[in-house]
Amino acid sequence: MLPGILELGNQLSQFLTPKYILDILWSVQLGIIVGMLPGLTATMGVALMTTLTYKYATDRAVLILICMYVGAIYGGSRTAILINIPGTPANAATTVDGYPLAKQGRAGEAMGIATTGSFLGSLFGMLMLAIFTPLLGNFALKFFSFEYFWLTIFGIVICGTLTAPKDPLKGWISGFFGLFVATIGMEGMHAYRRFTFGNVDLSGGISLLPAMIGIFGFSEILIVMKRPIIEVVESKIEKVIPHPAEILAYWGTIVRSGIIGTIIGAIPGVGEDIGAWVSYDFAKKASKHPEEYGKGSLEGLMAAETGNNAAVGGAIIPVLSLAVPGSAPAAVLLGAMLIHGIRPGPLLMIENPEFIYQVVAMLLLASCAMFVLGLLFIKTFIKILLIPPQRLMPVVFSLCVIGAYALSSRIFDIWVMAVFGIIGYAMKEMDYPVAPAVLGIILGDLLDKNLRRSLILTKGNIIPLFIRPISFILVLFIFFTIVSQTKLFKKIWESLMRSKKK
Amino acid sequence: MDNSQRMNKADFITSLLLTFFGLGVFILSLRMPTFKEVGANPYSAPGIVPSALGFILFILGIILLIRSISRKGYQIQLSLNGFLFLYRKQSTIRFLIALFLSIIYVFLLGKVNYFILTYFYIFLFILFYEFNFKKKIILQKKVVIYAVLEATIIASCIAFVFQYLFLVRLP
Repeated sequence: MLPGILELGNQLSQFLTPKYILDILWSVQLGIIVGMLPGLTATMGVALMTTLTYKYATDRAVLILICMYVGAIYGGSRTAILINIPGTPANAATTVDGYPLAKQGRAGEAMGIATTGSFLGSLFGMLMLAIFTPLLGNFALKFFSFEYFWLTIFGIVICGTLTAPKDPLKGWISGFFGLFVATIGMEGMHAYRRFTFGNVDLSGGISLLPAMIGIFGFSEILIVMKRPIIEVVESKIEKVIPHPAEILAYWGTIVRSGIIGTIIGAIPGVGEDIGAWVSYDFAKKASKHPEEYGKGSLEGLMAAETGNNAAVGGAIIPVLSLAVPGSAPAAVLLGAMLIHGIRPGPLLMIENPEFIYQVVAMLLLASCAMFVLGLLFIKTFIKILLIPPQRLMPVVFSLCVIGAYALSSRIFDIWVMAVFGIIGYAMKEMDYPVAPAVLGIILGDLLDKNLRRSLILTKGNIIPLFIRPISFILVLFIFFTIVSQTKLFKKIWESLMRSKKK
Repeated sequence: MDNSQRMNKADFITSLLLTFFGLGVFILSLRMPTFKEVGANPYSAPGIVPSALGFILFILGIILLIRSISRKGYQIQLSLNGFLFLYRKQSTIRFLIALFLSIIYVFLLGKVNYFILTYFYIFLFILFYEFNFKKKIILQKKVVIYAVLEATIIASCIAFVFQYLFLVRLP
């Protein structure tokens, strides 16, 4: 443990220079602004910054991206509180109690609690990242192609289930569609061009960043422009900094939400929004005053914001240990690490173990900056919310175009962004979650190579795919995840619960 | 018509599309070469994974189709009045303006100078949403002036910042 702490201290000291501190401050503040604005999500912010920091040194680029990520996940709480529209999906649970507090004239108090909850959640996630990444990475060294194949299927199934709890079938369709999109282009074993229909540009496949910018950026612009004009709550923002006694009163909620947020964040593709909702639900069930939830409960607000920011650290755990993203912004972070020559995954523990401590140090500094900037500049940056969407969205779209174009300088990538934006819009209108589709695009190559490798090793025999111990456990998880969503299972479960109560 | 009825109809249509899409992917994948003639392992064939994915999408499409039929999603009543009602809704018009302008912008990228194209995109975007075409221009000069100013400033800032600070080539 001591060598770990010493290494963390060493990495922290490297970032405590004027140049890095300036980078931390501007990128966290920009992240807060990105998160605040409906139409801009954390994923888009991180994706745009990835292309813009392409020429920066690796440590500087990753630091900026993590700061943008942390800032954006927190920043959405402001719009959630003031206009009842979450700035990012991660802040949807914040609207439930944040907006009623703003209507009661307690917007400042709500934002202070949200900022503190986000900071503490972020610290919790960082701590879990430091402890569990090496453990999971060492465990993942036992994975072969069979286990990676089932891990990708499990990621798609669990992501589809959790992001579409009312209709998991649509979540699974979205996920498998994403896996299919990943097969377009030149495949890795024989350089055969799949589904290109003679188009040279398609031979390179569908690039992840333009597709993500389209799905999360352009589709969101179309949704924002479709909405009628938003009214901002005229609330005096006073008493922003919460009293320490107020925070200590919620210590149980903070710890519970931190644990839940981190675990949910670590599940592939699920993300901060589910982390927030599940933390909120558990806090309500454990609360002494559940009747206050939905009417302006500070405890509920604290739970939601702690949960969503704890999920940030949680989402980075599988990125570093398995090269599988825990959320959409984490997926972009993974892509950025690959662009900068870092190889996340089990081998990271062997090839570059100090990188994990670098990421922990970055997360700690980003959290501290988010806390300070979040409390200091609440009143100033709220004015940005007064900008009408028709004046802001064309700027956002121009940035989407640059973001899609900058990496490979191809007009084709801009068209990919536009097409996936329209697909993302259609999916959202028809209640299909987009996160599984994006996860599918990311994991498609991993699934493709590992399934074929497994079949080559077993000479076409599929039984070893099921009987290896870790594979068997993953298959069981997949089976139970699917079966638990059927009507028959739900009926059996309900009758068991009823007979247990009797 | 409530939201759930609309969704059932939408699910019926998408399930048909998905079923045919899955089937198409499956058939195209089976027709991909296996490279057996050059001594490649048959289990490394390019069509294995997409055929499996196509089959899964086909099955999921069938499940969605059966479900939408059981919820009477097949009762789609197409009418001209229905279309006109949809296209006259404010939300539809707002959506179509944003979509149309953005697609035209993307289409002209690389063919027209970036600054000029971005300028006109932002200018027209603001104008279409804020300008009232039934009123005289003189009465709305603030809207026009603001649109010109924002378009000029933003287009120049983006071009300058990305080209010279972030060293990114512009389309």
